[in-house]
Amino acid sequence: MLNSLVRRSLLRKVPVQPIILPVAHLSLETQPLERLQSFRTSENNPLNHSDDHIGQFYTIPSEHKKKLFLYGGLPRSYDTQTKTFNESCLMIRKPSVDVINCLRHVDYSKPAVRFILYGKKGQGKSLSLAHIIHYGYSAGFLIVHVPWVGGWLRRCQESSISEFKPGCIDTNLDAAAWLVHFKHQNSHLLDNPDLRTTQDHVWSKRESTPKDVPLGELVDHGINRIKFASQCIVVLAEEIKQLSREGKCKTLVVVDGFNGFFYPNTRILTEKKEVVHPKNVTVTEAFLNLSRFDWKNGAAVVTVDELAIAEKDHISHFPRYLLGRDGFEHMDPFVPVAVPTYTKLEFTSCMDYYRERRWVLPLDGQDEELQFLSAMNPYRLMLLCNSV
Amino acid sequence: MFTRPLLLSSKLELTRCFKFPQNGMSQYPSYYIKPIYSNDKQTDLIKSGEAQKLAHVPTRAALNDQTSSIYHDDLICLLVNYLMKDGNKLLARDLVEKTMEKIKRVQLEKYHKLANEEEKEKVVLNPRAIIHQAITNVKPILQLTPIKRGGVTYQVPVPITDRRSQFLSMKWLIEAGNEKERTVRFYDQFAYELIDAANNTGRAVKKKQDLHKQCEMNRAYAHYRWS
Repeated sequence: MLNSLVRRSLLRKVPVQPIILPVAHLSLETQPLERLQSFRTSENNPLNHSDDHIGQFYTIPSEHKKKLFLYGGLPRSYDTQTKTFNESCLMIRKPSVDVINCLRHVDYSKPAVRFILYGKKGQGKSLSLAHIIHYGYSAGFLIVHVPWVGGWLRRCQESSISEFKPGCIDTNLDAAAWLVHFKHQNSHLLDNPDLRTTQDHVWSKRESTPKDVPLGELVDHGINRIKFASQCIVVLAEEIKQLSREGKCKTLVVVDGFNGFFYPNTRILTEKKEVVHPKNVTVTEAFLNLSRFDWKNGAAVVTVDELAIAEKDHISHFPRYLLGRDGFEHMDPFVPVAVPTYTKLEFTSCMDYYRERRWVLPLDGQDEELQFLSAMNPYRLMLLCNSV
Repeated sequence: MFTRPLLLSSKLELTRCFKFPQNGMSQYPSYYIKPIYSNDKQTDLIKSGEAQKLAHVPTRAALNDQTSSIYHDDLICLLVNYLMKDGNKLLARDLVEKTMEKIKRVQLEKYHKLANEEEKEKVVLNPRAIIHQAITNVKPILQLTPIKRGGVTYQVPVPITDRRSQFLSMKWLIEAGNEKERTVRFYDQFAYELIDAANNTGRAVKKKQDLHKQCEMNRAYAHYRWS
């Protein structure tokens, strides 16, 4: 209740302009009826998605999918579904449309706005995020996307002691993999001649990245010299902020499982087998830096997810609990966006989609039964439909 | 003080009046009827007026796998029970559900590969239909029983009851699913076996054919059944 109030009051500040549609769209009275009948929209460009499309499925073009989600970003169960369905479709849902609407109308000369998506497990936070990333890509944002923080802090591949900051731990393999991901997602923007480093960066006695070289070179250095990958991310974050401040690019920071950065029990251990607090992991600094509001021409959309922390602490799904005091104060003020269960319309649309894809065979009373069994939870519905 | 003899007498009376079922372990007396849990059957009973009669007959509680779900399937419940080890029903049911998922994925892949609309229609996408078809295809009609005649044991072909043949069919299908590499999941292999069996190929069907062949070879001993 309180959250929705806060959210509404925060949303009200954003000037909402009516979206101007071609006359043909407005004059048709049959539009709502048509909408009810169809669970699919041919509008595959997320720039044009609005409240009218809620509950409908749109197809992510395969080249966009390859570009954005080749190195992660879509849940694995969703990936298997797309393989079976022979296409990758996403449902346009209220939370992502809300965020997209805000991103469209936000004043980018003001400090960066932060959104936090929250909701119970399996209600579609990650897929809402995927929709927002697709919007960011189409709108020409520089995308800084972390597919899953839990992957770094709870299942990191290796760790070593940082050379740059005493007492810090590097996770270089993961960091290098992320740099590859970042480079792949933004390859079209990194060619931009405006994006140049603003400072000298000295890596060691012999290696340094001078001022005024393309940003791509900095990223390449991190990939080629895996030893410096973590520090490279920290530097890159600062460079991106600086470039955004100067108005050379618009940046969208997207982090899934952001609360992982504030959860004290990571699975990274020091040489003495002591648990490392996330604030002592080098990459954390970079993304905490990017999620501050001391810059402009940028926005951050993050999710807080119970799955990013240890199972024994899955107590509440609300941001205050998951972020803890430090995290909450770090993010405050932010726009909380609840990702709820399916509405009746979304549920029917989802079932229609499954039926059209021949995943579920039509049967009387099917919708009603599945509705009760799944409690309208998208993930649980998917699991139930697997064996139906 | 006097409640005890009273109780005892009532117990005695009970034993005299009612014949307990043969299975002494059942918690229900024999006059308890089995529950009718299927939605369709209930509506039929209500329509024909039978329901009124049954309303006050003592009824057993439904078992926990007997539901009025539209997806309830007796044969598949039985398959789950045959698959179950150590009473771990959760796992058994999970395996069967995952098998059905795999069947759907395999069949849908076939479906999408076909270009022709008519051929597409022929692909069976219902996993339950495939399981039923597979079980019917693997059912044997004869089996061999050892019978001792003149100091020699002969394998004599004898007819088989429907229930036994259904059991053998499911048993062979499950065995075929278990014959796999260590890295392959049971439900994947089981799904492939079921699809094969539904098409009258595969290891389980082969087993049935072998048995039939053996019966055919031993037909000369058939008269030992009665002589």
